[in-house]
Amino acid sequence: MRKVIITVLGHDRPGIVAAVSGALLEQRCNIEDISQTILQTEFAGIFIATIPDDTKENDLCESLEGKLHPLGLSVFLKPMQAAPAGTEIETEPFVITTLGPDRLGLVAGITGLLSDYGINIVHLKAAFRGGEDPRRNVMIYEVDIPVATDHHAFRAALSRRARELGLDVSLQHRDIFEEIHRV
Amino acid sequence: MLTDREVLSTFEMLKNEHLDVRTVTLGISLFDCASDDLDRFRRNVHDKICRLARHLVATCDEVGVKYGIPIVNKRISVSPIAVAGCPFSASQMVEIAETLDETAREIGIDFIGGFSALVEKGMTTGDRALIDSIPEALTRTERVCASVNVASTHAGINMDAVYLMGQTIKRAAQLTEKADGIACAKLCVFANIPQDVPFMAGAYLGVGEPDAVINVGVSGPGVVKKAIDRARAVNPRLDLGQLSEIIKRTAFKVTRVGELIGRQVALKLGVPFGVVDLSLAPTPNVGDSVGEIFESLGLKSIGMPGSTAVLAMLNDAVKKGGAFASSYVGGLSGAFIPVSEDLRIAEAARSGHLSLEKLEALTSVCSVGLDMVALPGDISAETLAAIMADEMAIGVINKKTTATRLIPVPGKKAGEKAFFGGLLGEATIIHVADNGGSAEFMSLGGRIPAPIQSLVN
Repeated sequence: MRKVIITVLGHDRPGIVAAVSGALLEQRCNIEDISQTILQTEFAGIFIATIPDDTKENDLCESLEGKLHPLGLSVFLKPMQAAPAGTEIETEPFVITTLGPDRLGLVAGITGLLSDYGINIVHLKAAFRGGEDPRRNVMIYEVDIPVATDHHAFRAALSRRARELGLDVSLQHRDIFEEIHRV
Repeated sequence: MLTDREVLSTFEMLKNEHLDVRTVTLGISLFDCASDDLDRFRRNVHDKICRLARHLVATCDEVGVKYGIPIVNKRISVSPIAVAGCPFSASQMVEIAETLDETAREIGIDFIGGFSALVEKGMTTGDRALIDSIPEALTRTERVCASVNVASTHAGINMDAVYLMGQTIKRAAQLTEKADGIACAKLCVFANIPQDVPFMAGAYLGVGEPDAVINVGVSGPGVVKKAIDRARAVNPRLDLGQLSEIIKRTAFKVTRVGELIGRQVALKLGVPFGVVDLSLAPTPNVGDSVGEIFESLGLKSIGMPGSTAVLAMLNDAVKKGGAFASSYVGGLSGAFIPVSEDLRIAEAARSGHLSLEKLEALTSVCSVGLDMVALPGDISAETLAAIMADEMAIGVINKKTTATRLIPVPGKKAGEKAFFGGLLGEATIIHVADNGGSAEFMSLGGRIPAPIQSLVN
């Protein structure tokens, strides 16, 4: 069974997921995963679906574009590659939170450091509404930190980077949030 | 995926409200160290503590950094030395205390508890030797903490032991007169002492406990105060029922974090996890005071009328939240009101809002008792003992723990200041009414019988 990954972008309104899933059903594609979000006024959705053996990816793409372009939605489709075996690194889940006034380079500054340490971002939410109220300028990173990471060094580097960027930062194991907020 | 509210409220707790784990205490049984040869006993004690606790500080620091929650104090509690070292004389007990002190220094901890005796019903030769050694032992050591349990709901109050402790405290104060009687700051006298207290100076490892165990003291008067302040800022019309709900929820969170961290340390050290102690333990830092919570709840100062009601509500809400958060709750589990160790309580004692009598009333609804109370140096041993007897009676009748940590400050009078330094803080000496009027009562001695409440079977 082949899998494809489809992304859909466009101005948000009711009926977008219905249109995409309806078009996929017509082509006898089975949806395995969906994630959708709305940033300000814009919809973004990612769909992973299996396609029948006798369907060509190009045909599926054309059919989706035919249904979705008239609705003002952009579509991108690509075949999914299986992950190479044996490359997984053992990690632990952490949450990095920053608060502080907006300026150029905040996301690049933090994520550059994460990249240097081989830390993968699994979920990121950032909103910069401007002004001096730190609560309106927040980044929340859920990350996987390799078990072998030197926590003293990473914590120090993160604090230093946050200071340079004028941010308040906290790095916490995800377990803390689970324990505190979930019964 | 975590919600923004979950993430941001946790951020707030950590950044601005001093959320930490107050103490991780490794309990170590010394019963298998027993010997009637002093050198061998001391060697056994040293070797066993070093073997089990060598990595305690590093492990706590490592877990603290990983989780982003500091573990403020790392400590050790041991089996009551009066039992483990029963054959030894008072002078030999002093040498044992020195061994404990040196071992604590070697592994990098600030306090080791368990220089203790349990004498609520009577004394063995070991108990007597240990109590006789306390003044010198606490003078010659820095890190050793002593406790003596003189009463229980099941045994009543051993008034001979209470009197003896009055004399012992006076002697300990005299031996450390240059340091305002600091030896007494490391000595607790208890009724109904729990076997698994992680907090000093009352920590020891009871006889029903495992060979080694991790007990955790969670805290956070600062977290509770800020939670109340924030809720009242958003809605000034909150009533006490709603505010106690906020305290309860906060205690739940603090306890969950404490247990998580304690279990991680226990796992890494390869010893079982014991209990979470739900006490609110203040330090002499701004924003870390139990006294401030009284102000957040509308009293001008702790000690004013209304204080006992506030403390009762606070203590109860903390227990309810904590008991839901953890199935293994133990130790003292209640708010501490140590006068010198809490800025606002110390201030209330200085300004006269908090008297000895009001402190005693407060202890009927919280966990500890007359804690870190500086008294005039000329107080008689009999009056000291009688103050302790009153405190023990509150514990015995109410089936709860009470304790005293009283410091008669040599050469100083009511209104003057005593300085103990560090976590022990400083305090204004409190006035004692009717010094000397209890001598005949104390001379009667004997054991006040166990109350009818003890007959529960």
